[in-house]
Order: sequence, then C-alpha cells, then structure tokens
Amino acid sequence: MKVVNTRVWIVWLSVLGASVLVFGCRDVPSQSDAIRVGVTHVPDHFDPRDATDAISSRINRLLYDRLVDLDEHAQPVPALATWEQRTPLQYRFVLRAPRPTFHDGSPLTAWDVKATYESVLDPARLSPHRSTLELIRRIEVSRDDVIDFVLDHPDPLFPHYLVIGILPANLIARGHDFRRKPVGSGPFRLERWIDDTRVRLIRRSDGQRIDIVRVPDPTVRALKLLAGELDIVQNDLPPELVAYLAEDDRLRIMRHHGTNFSYLGFHLQDPVTGQREIRQAIAHAIDREGIIHFVLKDGARLANAVFPPEHWAGHPALNGYPYDPDRARALLTQAGYSPTRPVRITYKTSSDPFRLRLATILQQQLAAVGIDVAIHSHDWGTFYGDIKAGRFQMFSLAWVGVKTPDIFRYAFHSQSVPPHGANRGRLNDARVDALIEQAERAKTLQEKQAVYRTLQAVLLESLPYVPLWYEDHVAIVRREIVGYRLASDGNYDGLRSVRRRGITTRSLDRESTASEERHAIGTMRRQ
Amino acid sequence: MMLYLLRRLAAVIPIMFGLACLVFFLLHLIPGDPVEVMLGEAAHPAEKEALRRALGLHLPLHTQLWHYVQGLVMFDFGTSIFSGRPILDILLERLPATIELGVAALAVAVMMAVPFGVLAAVRHKTVIDFGAMGFSLLGMSIPNFWLGPLLILIGAVWLGWFPVSGREGWRSLILPALTLGVSMAAILSRMVRSSLLEVIREDYIRTARAKGLAEWTVIVRHGLRTALLPVLTLLGLQLGALLSGAVITETIFAWPGIGSLTVEAIQRRDYPVVQAAVLWISFLYVVVNAFTDVLYAWLDPRVRTEESP
Repeated sequence: MKVVNTRVWIVWLSVLGASVLVFGCRDVPSQSDAIRVGVTHVPDHFDPRDATDAISSRINRLLYDRLVDLDEHAQPVPALATWEQRTPLQYRFVLRAPRPTFHDGSPLTAWDVKATYESVLDPARLSPHRSTLELIRRIEVSRDDVIDFVLDHPDPLFPHYLVIGILPANLIARGHDFRRKPVGSGPFRLERWIDDTRVRLIRRSDGQRIDIVRVPDPTVRALKLLAGELDIVQNDLPPELVAYLAEDDRLRIMRHHGTNFSYLGFHLQDPVTGQREIRQAIAHAIDREGIIHFVLKDGARLANAVFPPEHWAGHPALNGYPYDPDRARALLTQAGYSPTRPVRITYKTSSDPFRLRLATILQQQLAAVGIDVAIHSHDWGTFYGDIKAGRFQMFSLAWVGVKTPDIFRYAFHSQSVPPHGANRGRLNDARVDALIEQAERAKTLQEKQAVYRTLQAVLLESLPYVPLWYEDHVAIVRREIVGYRLASDGNYDGLRSVRRRGITTRSLDRESTASEERHAIGTMRRQ
Repeated sequence: MMLYLLRRLAAVIPIMFGLACLVFFLLHLIPGDPVEVMLGEAAHPAEKEALRRALGLHLPLHTQLWHYVQGLVMFDFGTSIFSGRPILDILLERLPATIELGVAALAVAVMMAVPFGVLAAVRHKTVIDFGAMGFSLLGMSIPNFWLGPLLILIGAVWLGWFPVSGREGWRSLILPALTLGVSMAAILSRMVRSSLLEVIREDYIRTARAKGLAEWTVIVRHGLRTALLPVLTLLGLQLGALLSGAVITETIFAWPGIGSLTVEAIQRRDYPVVQAAVLWISFLYVVVNAFTDVLYAWLDPRVRTEESP
C-alpha cells in the first residue's frame, strides 16, 4: 500500500510541477507603441493575385499599390497610373511620377505591371481574378512607364478591373512566396507574422507599427477596446455593442454610409412566393425604418436597389415600398388570402444570433398583416447550400462589396441559375434579361448607366428581392488615436495617417500629418 | 505490466484507422464546397473544376480516402486549402498554446477541487459541505461562454489585472485557465468528496484513528492518498478534453490553440485541416485513455492482475 501511495503522490506532484513550469515559461513583451487593430481573422496570406476575402483585400491595399482605385461612386480614379482609351480595344496606362519603390528598394516599372497581370492570367496559377480579366488579349510595354492593354472585346468598365496589387517582376519570375513574404510598393510592409492571431505591419514613411490582432468574439473585441488592448475596431460588431461603446468617453465612433445591400429573397417558382402581390405585401408589411432605428440603432439607410444612389450605376430616384400594413392586407386579399386562409411561408436564415433576431422581428411584423412565417435557422454551410439548391421560399442575405454592375447578370439573368450564377430565386423575366444584355452591349458608361437605372426600376417593380437596407461602416477608435479616416468601402486606408497622440515616430512628417487630420475632421463633418 | 502496456497500445491502431475513415466520410457529408469558398461563387466553372482537380477533390471518395490514409501513415496530413501550408506545421504551431492552457486549467482545477472535496467530505452534512457542493453545482452550471466574458469584464476591464485576450505572457493565461478550470474543478471536487467519504469509512482509517493519529494526518496521509486514485481516471478524461483544445474558451480568449483552429477550419470548409484537427483530438482521447489505464494499472496492481491472462 505504501508503494501505491508513493506513486499516487508522484503523479499528483508531476501534474502540479508541470503547471508551475507552464505558468513561468512564457512572457512575450508587447509593443506598446504599436497601434492595434482588432479583426475577426487575420489574412491567410498576402498574395493579392489570390485574395478574395474582405480582410485580405483590405490589408493588401496597404502592402501593394494598384493601377486604379475606385472612388465613392465606384468610378475608377488614377492610383499608380493615369489612362486613356486609345481604341475600343486598347487602353494605355502611364505610371505617374514619382514612381514608388518596392519594399526591397527596386523601382516599380511597367514590366512589373505586365508580369503581375500575366501571372494572374496564367491558367496554371488558378487565380480567382482570372475570369474577370480574361478579356485581356495581350499586354505590351513600350516604355518603363507606359503599358498597353489590348482586349478581346470592348468593355468600357475595363479600368474598374485593374485594382490588383502590383508585384515585382523579378520575384514573380523566381516564384517568390508572396503568400508569406509580401513584397509590394504600398505604404506598409510586413514586419512580422507573429502567429495566426497577430500580424505586425510597419509604416514605411515613419516606422509606425500597426498590429492586426485576431479577436473572433465581438464581445471580447469590445472589451479589449475598453481595456485599451485594441485601439481601433472597424465593423463586425452588433449594433447594441456599438451603442454600448458609444457611451464610453474614452472611445469615439466614426460612421460612414456603407454599400452592403441586405435583402429578402424569394423562390419565384414557388406557388406562394412566386406571386408578385404576396411579395409586394411583404414589402409593405415590413417597417424597415423602425428596424433601422430600434434594432440597427440608426446604423443603416433604406435601400431600394442593389446599388446605392451614389453609385454611378445607381438610381437616385427610385420610390420604394413604404411601411403600409393596410396596403399589405389589401394585396393579400387581392391574391385570394384572408385571416381564415393565411399565407404560410418558411423563412430560412443562418444561425447568426443577430440574423435570427431580425428574423423574429420580421416574423412578428408579417404576422400582423396575416402572413404566417416559420423560421428555419441553419448553420451557414447548410443554409447557403439550401439557398443555392433552391430549397427555400424566403431567405435573407446581403451582397457585400459589390462595385461593378456585372452583379445584375450574375444575380438576375435567367441563365444565371446556380451553379451558373446566383439567380437563386430562379427569376425568368424576358424584360430583365433583355435589359441586362442591352447594358452589356452599351458602348459608353452613360449609355450603360441609363439602361441599368431602367433595369433597377423594373426589378423594384417585379420584386425578386425586397430591398432592406445598406448597413453603415462603423469604426470605434480610442481617443488617444488620431488621424484615422473611415473609408466609404470600409478599407483600412485610414491607417496611412493614424498615430497615437503624444508619440512621435522615427521620421514623422508633422506637416503632412496635420493636413491628414484636417482632412479626417472634414470627412467626419461631412458624415 | 509490459504485456498490458503493449496490448493497450496495439488497440490504438485499429481505433485510429476507424476514426480516420469516420472523420473523412463525415466531413464530406457536410454541405459546402471548399473550391467555391476559395474562388468565390462567381468563379468560372472551368476554373472551379481545375482547382478541384488540383486539390484532388474530383477523385472518387474511396480514392481520396486511400490517398488520405497513405499520407497519414507518413505523418503527412496534407496542406491547408487556404494558407497552402503543411497541416502538420500548423498543428505543431498551435499545440504549445493548447498544452499550456490545458495544463494551467488542470492545475487550477486540482488546486480548487482537492481542498473543496476534502473539506466537504470531512465536514459532511455541515454548512461547509453544502457550501462547497453548492459552489461545485454553480461551477458545473455556468457555461464557459458566459463565465469567460464575465471574468474578462471583472479581471481585465474593471480591475485591469489581466489582459482581455490573446497569448502574451503568463498573465494572459490566468483568465482562460480559470474559465476552463472552474467547471472542471466542480466535477473533480464532487469526485474527491464521494471518494473520500467512502475511504474514511474503511477499517484502516478507523484503525489509524484508534492508534491516536491526528485527524489531519488520518485524512491526508491515509485517506486522501487512496481516495485520489479513482479521481485520476476522471482527470485523464478531462486532460484529453483539454489537450484537444477548448473550443469555446479558445475562441473567447482568442487563444491560438487547436480548438480555435478547428472552429476556423470548420467555418471555412478547410477539409484537410478539419480532418487533421478532429483526428488529433480523437488520437489524444485514445492515447490519454490508454495512458490513464496504464497509469492506473501501475498505481493499483489489482487492475493488471485482474486483466492479465
């Protein structure tokens, strides 16, 4: 028995000893001058040719320069280069002086642009951006700063597509691992990939460190802001948390109109939701303004179309469906339904708590006009799989980051039923198809704009989607952080000018920082 | 003893093979297409097909399984669909964090459970017993997703003693270890109490008391030593759970361990990473159970005598 007892004690002491070792073994000093940005996840890699998710695109904008940027109207504006359309099939881009240098010190030239786009078009690389750019027939460099794109067919939207970060040609040729070791010409370079939860960038102009910190849980992100462990959190916070943080004097809230379009979708071949009167009744039964005010805490604006009014292809004068329960009841009666024969609809949504809460609110509002809604909530994979397979009557989703009007073909053309596109409601409307094709054939942007506006009016009338709202971009910034600007598309370009109050960095250009801050204040006032 | 050990280890191989097959098929039944997640829904069908081929996802399921098992034998778990990195590297990167948190939580649990359990047993049916068991019930009932943020609010935001989340220094370990350790301590303390209650009714304890030993010596030196033996089995199972990654706690505290890796991989349909992570978790359970059995046999010779041929 004594041996047994001794062994028991050995085991217990080993457990405790190991714990003591563990407690004392790690201590990684944190960089106190770094500005810390909280995100839901850090990018898997930094190769702009392969990036598709929002966070990768936003970080890549900091590491790489692009030929073209899109402004608040989603119109292309010069970034690295200006351009001219020499013929319907040829675009000439001229790199602006002074040309930037890559992180390795080499200057960016037209050869780098050519190598970047050719590698995107290389079928062996399987770049997700290849399908957008495959209209490029060839790329020619006539001078170190001049590059010509020759197209297979005319496309006035071509400059919109040239937003991919430029990589050095010599490194592309050598098969450099841009995924782990990015080399761009952007205002930041990667200083250290600390681990899967932290990435440290360094601003080339003044050495300011920016830590991108992964904090998946929104409540914990908010608490880290309050505790001063994060300096900036942008988006991905539920409205009630934003409202809670807004009450704290140590934080300031920045808002900017967003473009992410939330909508209710319908199966148009379903005997119930296929009836336009039913969809119109639903549109009139939903108090969108009430939801925006009370649930989204005024963090959204009403939507009437996929594109917001300020988008170049948007329609500024669409009349949506106002909240009108009486009109909704009348439409239901017109469709042959009554309180004794109510409309029954299943509503599919993801298991995200906020989406579920919205679903119950919509359920209650629709019940008030005589529509009996059964909510079916599934994990994202199952929910999305069902939507693509057409196993639904009504669902809610959002289009995120849509900037080019090819969305109309993709989401509404009769040939775009999954798996060929995202016409999930199986819309088959000859008028819509004809307008999409007409817009695609249009030779100028003005022509396209007119057709797209007509198309959006037609869509609002036939109502394959009930437009809900565009959610605002929200940034919550600690007060000691100055110079941050919130961009219209939610990118992180504001980090170019951000700094911690009272801390001077290696070669901070005070004049330019002051001017950036003035600009930031101006932007906020306009908001 | 050696024969017993070999038998237990040999049993691990078919269990692991069965688990590998099960995990493989289950994951392919889950809806969602990793190719679509990588390229986006709008990608050209030809590109999707090319990527599917490049990843080997076009092959029949049994062929994919064969390749997978072949790789496993060589410790090749494949590469992550998203980062393109070898999964073994990713797992090895995450493992230290999980071990660190697991051992710390275990320490918290043991340090809380043993005194509470002993006190409750010694002061059986008194206020102390009810108090300790009430605390234990509370610990078992509070979910980690609530306790974690609560501890953050108090310990990090209000008091400012600990970091809110992340893995930066020993202080960042305290809150997640407490979150995990409290519920485990609740279960363990009940086990210690009931085990000790049984032991202190044994004849040899009465003999010890009759010899005039101090009550503390009787309980700790004679009672507790024996009472802790069955607790080891439970501890082994708990250790398996801890080393496989505490999914909720690691997510709340942004702890870069196996648990959070699994959640991220599932959300993104990164099949190879999910397979490897689930297999790792299963492997740990099997190994820790086998280890616990062997340890138990080492500690208590009656076990191996009963089971040996």
